[in-house]
Amino acid sequence: MKPPAFDYIAATSVEDAVAALARSEGEGKLIAGGQSLMPMLNFRLAGPAVLIDVGRIAGLDGIEETDEGLTVGALARHAALETSPGVAKHLPVLAEAMRHVAHLAIRNRGTIGGSLSHADPAAELPLMAVLLDAVLHITGPEESREVPAEEFFIGALTTDLEDEEMVTAVTFPYLPAGCGWGFEEVSRRSGDFALAAAAATLSFEGSVISEARLAVTGVDDLPLRISEAEEGLMGGELTEEKISAAAESVQASVNPNSDAQASADYRRHLIGVLTARVLRAAAARATGGGL
Amino acid sequence: MSEAGAGNIDLTRPKIIGTSVKRVEDPRLLTGHGRFTDDVKLRGTLHVAFVRSDHAHARIDAIDTSAAAEMPGVVGVYSAAELDQMTSPVFATSKMKDYHATPVRALASGKARFAGEPVVAVVAESRYLAEDALALVDIDYAPLEALVDPELACDENAVKLYDDLPGNVLVSRSFGMGEAEAVLAAAPQTVSGRFRFHRKSPTALEPRAYLADYDQGSRALTLYASTQVPGIIRDCLVDVLDMPGSKLRVIAGDVGGGFGGKASLNPEEILVCALARHLGRPVKWTADRMEDLLSTSQSFDEIVDAELAVGEDGRFLALKADILGDVGAFSIYPWTAALEPMQVAGFLPGPYKIENFQANVRAVATNKAPMGPYRGVGRPISAFVLERLIDMAAKKIGMDPAEIRRRNFVREDEFPHKIGSGIVWDRSGFLDCLEQVIERADYDGLRRHRESARAEGRWFGIGLASYAELTGIGSRLSAAPGMPINTGTESATIQVDSSGAVTAHFGIASHGQGLETTLAQIVAEEMGVRLEDVEVVQGDTAAVAHSTGTYASRSAVIAGGAGTLTARTLRSKVIEAASHLLEADVKDIDFAESLISVRGTNKTMSLRELARAVYSQMGSLPAEVRAKVDLQASEFYDPHFGTTTCATHLAAVEVDPETYKVTIHTFVVSEDCGRVINPLIVDGQVHGGVAQGIGAALFEEVVYDETGQNISASLVDYVVPSAAEVPPMTVHHLDALAPSTLGGYRGMGEGGTIGAPAAIANALSDALGHLDVEISELPMTPERLFRVVEAAQAQKGE
Repeated sequence: MKPPAFDYIAATSVEDAVAALARSEGEGKLIAGGQSLMPMLNFRLAGPAVLIDVGRIAGLDGIEETDEGLTVGALARHAALETSPGVAKHLPVLAEAMRHVAHLAIRNRGTIGGSLSHADPAAELPLMAVLLDAVLHITGPEESREVPAEEFFIGALTTDLEDEEMVTAVTFPYLPAGCGWGFEEVSRRSGDFALAAAAATLSFEGSVISEARLAVTGVDDLPLRISEAEEGLMGGELTEEKISAAAESVQASVNPNSDAQASADYRRHLIGVLTARVLRAAAARATGGGL
Repeated sequence: MSEAGAGNIDLTRPKIIGTSVKRVEDPRLLTGHGRFTDDVKLRGTLHVAFVRSDHAHARIDAIDTSAAAEMPGVVGVYSAAELDQMTSPVFATSKMKDYHATPVRALASGKARFAGEPVVAVVAESRYLAEDALALVDIDYAPLEALVDPELACDENAVKLYDDLPGNVLVSRSFGMGEAEAVLAAAPQTVSGRFRFHRKSPTALEPRAYLADYDQGSRALTLYASTQVPGIIRDCLVDVLDMPGSKLRVIAGDVGGGFGGKASLNPEEILVCALARHLGRPVKWTADRMEDLLSTSQSFDEIVDAELAVGEDGRFLALKADILGDVGAFSIYPWTAALEPMQVAGFLPGPYKIENFQANVRAVATNKAPMGPYRGVGRPISAFVLERLIDMAAKKIGMDPAEIRRRNFVREDEFPHKIGSGIVWDRSGFLDCLEQVIERADYDGLRRHRESARAEGRWFGIGLASYAELTGIGSRLSAAPGMPINTGTESATIQVDSSGAVTAHFGIASHGQGLETTLAQIVAEEMGVRLEDVEVVQGDTAAVAHSTGTYASRSAVIAGGAGTLTARTLRSKVIEAASHLLEADVKDIDFAESLISVRGTNKTMSLRELARAVYSQMGSLPAEVRAKVDLQASEFYDPHFGTTTCATHLAAVEVDPETYKVTIHTFVVSEDCGRVINPLIVDGQVHGGVAQGIGAALFEEVVYDETGQNISASLVDYVVPSAAEVPPMTVHHLDALAPSTLGGYRGMGEGGTIGAPAAIANALSDALGHLDVEISELPMTPERLFRVVEAAQAQKGE
């Protein structure tokens, strides 16, 4: 279980990194925390000609409160999000989700940019990006662009990122004041990839739901927002009927895999259960609303 | 603590046995100063990587290694064509009738019989280069039908793994006592089921690793091996390599766990030795995790159809079982394919009186990694099957699970008791363990908790499991059926050197159990020296003339017995020398804490002073005394039959009715392992065993797909419980009924794994009792719970 031979470049800036990517003509791969890439190299599931180490680029690991939201640098670690006061204040659902990412040692190494770019279909961070309408900041050799999370994820381990591009940051818009949230995940063991996970946010005006967001992962090729379920939740109280309808809508929208850990049937069952639980939790946490 | 069975212990001396002394190996291991096989760095070492078969079953038509051999850094590329010239195959023979041995070879010869079997070995200057060259080896396979289902493999028309054998069934035995069939047919009540225990991997923290070093000058070979059985490996390699034992030494230094997975001869051990001798350079192979999960022996793969007859009073009348063991691609050396399924049958009657018993056992070869020993060997399945049947019977006749067990245990006045499989239990606290668990776990309180949880719609269940096992097995019994090698004795050699230091040599091979500590405790106390003055040498075939190693819960009992006898002999030599040197009668000499003194006087002498006097001061002793008091001794110990260890486990679990996630609410163990040498170590052994039992019950399964590919060969897919999945547990000991073994010790390294799966299966069945679900398959993963509950709810709805 040793990686094949590769060249190594330690990039000193984003420009440097994307230039090296461009020079590698599709044979290069960025490495930062290495928590997904190193196992793939050791299993020889990946064999890039050159590894471009972005881990030493200065100034890319910040968590900044901006007018648009919380902007997190690509090199920020999962553990930094988990413990950040800014995340706790503005995006508590994100802090909770981070606690489910693998184990502390991995959260101390794994980076935000790496997890988003890797796009594992059962990972928590892509789910959060989709739920929270995050915007990814992407830099290529010629230009920089911003892409909404829902457009960034295309399939399992597949994103909108071009070969010579790099994710430099992600901006999570703040949750509205009084917004309630829920996050639930079922995995075989603590720290394993989700068999199924769901997250929701609910805002209320009085007892009427004014905004609903619902996202799921582990049950399709990519994290999904379930807009049909969100629309069904709007404009009234959160009732058991609405919860059941949302769960059924989620179950109908997803296309889970069967593998040695769980069948598609069980994953579909689970996502219905978790949808109901996150909606109840979100309503309970919201101020001015709820069951 | 009871003193029964403690033998000749001098009660006036400070106790070391029975004390939670800290493990003497821990400072080394915890500060990174351990020396595992992979830590051994020898100049010029070559590294091996294997091309492993990617077919479960295939004829090997041609192998082209030329491109790989030309790669820079590659020293040689070998297949069976070369290795079969350098080595002879090993057969695990047995005196058992209707048993077919199969060859164990360094590399697949003619056919590949499981996905992951080594076919070609690349030897290179580094492991990286060796792995790079693997892709250049070209093997022409003719795929054959993969046998994955053990029942289909038994069919006489099934494709055969070994063309020269009559079929795939390697072992077929029937035995019993009384008239099980007739009693079952006429019984007032019967319960039955088909029980499935799925395949496990022992999964030691340290994967297997071997380094062979051939010394051209002395023509001697040293194998550094991560093994539990250096003596078995040495004695076998002597034949395989045709070398005298004096030129072949096997050293198991620090070993990071074995659990049975390192208790057999492995093809890679043969290979590195043959190639080191062939190439004249050290040759190393360290398994990575994937190789370990693909190729290390696996276990617990059985289908058991069983039926229990019960009287209306709850008495067990008859037990019958058909046991099919899926033993994989070959019959493992030295234990044979019979080991695991025969143990299932042998221990099936458990600690109960069942007058009529019948077992039919088959071991069938399939295209999977070989089945070998794993902590508990067979007994986790025995306990699972019988303890499930008992709870089903209790439910049927409306009796509490604790009460039905009480009514059937072999009682104190009924030992020794021979069970239907022929095993004889010596005196052991069967009932006492149950009663202690009932009391300490607050069984009544748990039952009240269960009622209130159920009233809230929660799924809460309590499960009991009692078992008995044979440990410290002596030479009158075979550790595996009909096995021709003796595993029943151990020897010890202890010497006081000229500096007064005490070194105790044992043949056993500690691999995490803390045997350096427990054996030092025994030697220190029996001899009269301080613990820190005893150096234990073990895990090295050069230490003693014969040993087999550490497995089958034997080392504390048998090596402990040898250490006891040897320490006592040496103690009397020291006292005799002291009586001359201190001019006192031997009866007046005290020897404790490494200090020798004459009772009632102020004459004392340290062991160092005594050693210097004996060895170095000419004329200090008369010649005839000097000849008698050479300060060393060797004794061996044979417990002849062995002794019974027993326990009751109690698990209380809660199942989430929506997600099917299982939470273990309570876990209590009460066990009788005789006299406890070190409570800290004994508790640790139980904790670890229960953790593996929880893995067996809820998490772990080696999964082969329908083509025979192992799809669980990583720790993502082979789900061992982590710290978060193992609940706090309490362990209680009984030592009131000491056995006849020297020192009163019973073996206890495996029991945790035996009781836990059965207790959890019973607790889950209790939790799902309202749905009439009976758990008959382990591991009971959330997926399986989802399936059985859906099926039960569908049936209830009809």
